[in-house]
Amino acid sequence: MLATRVFSLVGKRAISTSVCVRAHESVVKSEDFSLPAYMDRRDHPLPEVAHVKHLSASQKALKEKEKASWSSLSMDEKVESLCFLLHKCGFGEKWLNVAEEGAADLCACKWLSSLPPVYRIKFKESFAEMNRGSNEWKTVVGGAMFFIGFTALVIMWQKHYVYGPLPQSFDKEWVAKQTKRMLDMKVNPIQGLASKWDYEKNEWKK
Amino acid sequence: MAHAAQVGLQDATSPIMEELITFHDHALMIIFLICFLVLYALFLTLTTKLTNTNISDAQEMETVWTILPAIILVLIALPSLRILYMTDEVNDPSLTIKSIGHQWYWTYEYTDYGGLIFNSYMLPPLFLEPGDLRLLDVDNRMVLPIEAPIRMMITSQDVLHSWAVPTLGLKTDAIPGRLNQTTFTATRPGVYYGQCSEICGANHSFMPIVLELIPLKIFEMGPVFTL
Repeated sequence: MLATRVFSLVGKRAISTSVCVRAHESVVKSEDFSLPAYMDRRDHPLPEVAHVKHLSASQKALKEKEKASWSSLSMDEKVESLCFLLHKCGFGEKWLNVAEEGAADLCACKWLSSLPPVYRIKFKESFAEMNRGSNEWKTVVGGAMFFIGFTALVIMWQKHYVYGPLPQSFDKEWVAKQTKRMLDMKVNPIQGLASKWDYEKNEWKK
Repeated sequence: MAHAAQVGLQDATSPIMEELITFHDHALMIIFLICFLVLYALFLTLTTKLTNTNISDAQEMETVWTILPAIILVLIALPSLRILYMTDEVNDPSLTIKSIGHQWYWTYEYTDYGGLIFNSYMLPPLFLEPGDLRLLDVDNRMVLPIEAPIRMMITSQDVLHSWAVPTLGLKTDAIPGRLNQTTFTATRPGVYYGQCSEICGANHSFMPIVLELIPLKIFEMGPVFTL
């Protein structure tokens, strides 16, 4: 269990698909990329194959009933029938390239709170499910902050053990004398340093 | 000279530099507008819910995003060329000074009205007084009058150097065997600093240029011509 949790944080497709398959249900590994495959993708609303290849007995029965006239279906069965739902939503025979909330989702939201079994025969996840956010950003931000912090430690070590002392010209008295000299020279008097000094009151402008 | 951690340009001490600052503001504004537009387009690309990847044939948009950049480029080119030609205007310099780069110091020759030639070395850290500018102050500054056009002839004795004074808008390469010319007119008296701007060996960062601009009356009195 813990291993799976660790995999779900660390396992990203970029590193290993097999690791991801074990952690996340939604990740699928393809055996042969030349065969039509099922995929849950926002820009590919109607995959080449159905999600469930082998129908159970009750699923087969429902499919048979769907083929007959829809008036013979009970209300529940109408709701369960995907073809009926799509027809009601105005899509009819034509499959449209709809990206915003799949048709079944729209109808389902209207009549149901959960999706019918017929939907689940054809599709694994609804649009809402496949587009859900994840907590990955927390791992990424946390990891980045951790390494930035570690870098800070490295820099502190360097300052203490590697770098020599700063030149004299960084001493406070030197900088003060230097700044006074720059003001006397009127360095950048238009928009720069000397423009910020009040020469009458002998102080920085407020 | 720049103050610590200064990012922007130094204030202008010559009319050409004033023009360059204005041009820089103009070009930078155009850059900011383009960058902002691109960032916005990128943001839209990353946060869109649209998934149609088969869009093609947008001739009107293609025309616009070809013509508009061309116009922007012309708007940048015109002021740029104007300033470029302004720097080459004939202005009858009052004084000609030669600046010769060596490893790792400058030699200045005032030979118009006499024969003054001297070297200008950076002050080593041990020779600095509190308040001096480390890496910038030199032993002998180049003294010049304000409000007079001055011609600089710049060359090198050994390797490539570059004679630069940012506040006057000057940077001219010192090339051995070649005389490069630049002219300027300073509008304000003061002490102005620059640094060698072409890699020339171990002490490339330690051969600064210092100009001391003084009123013409004082310059004419001849403090420069004492040897």
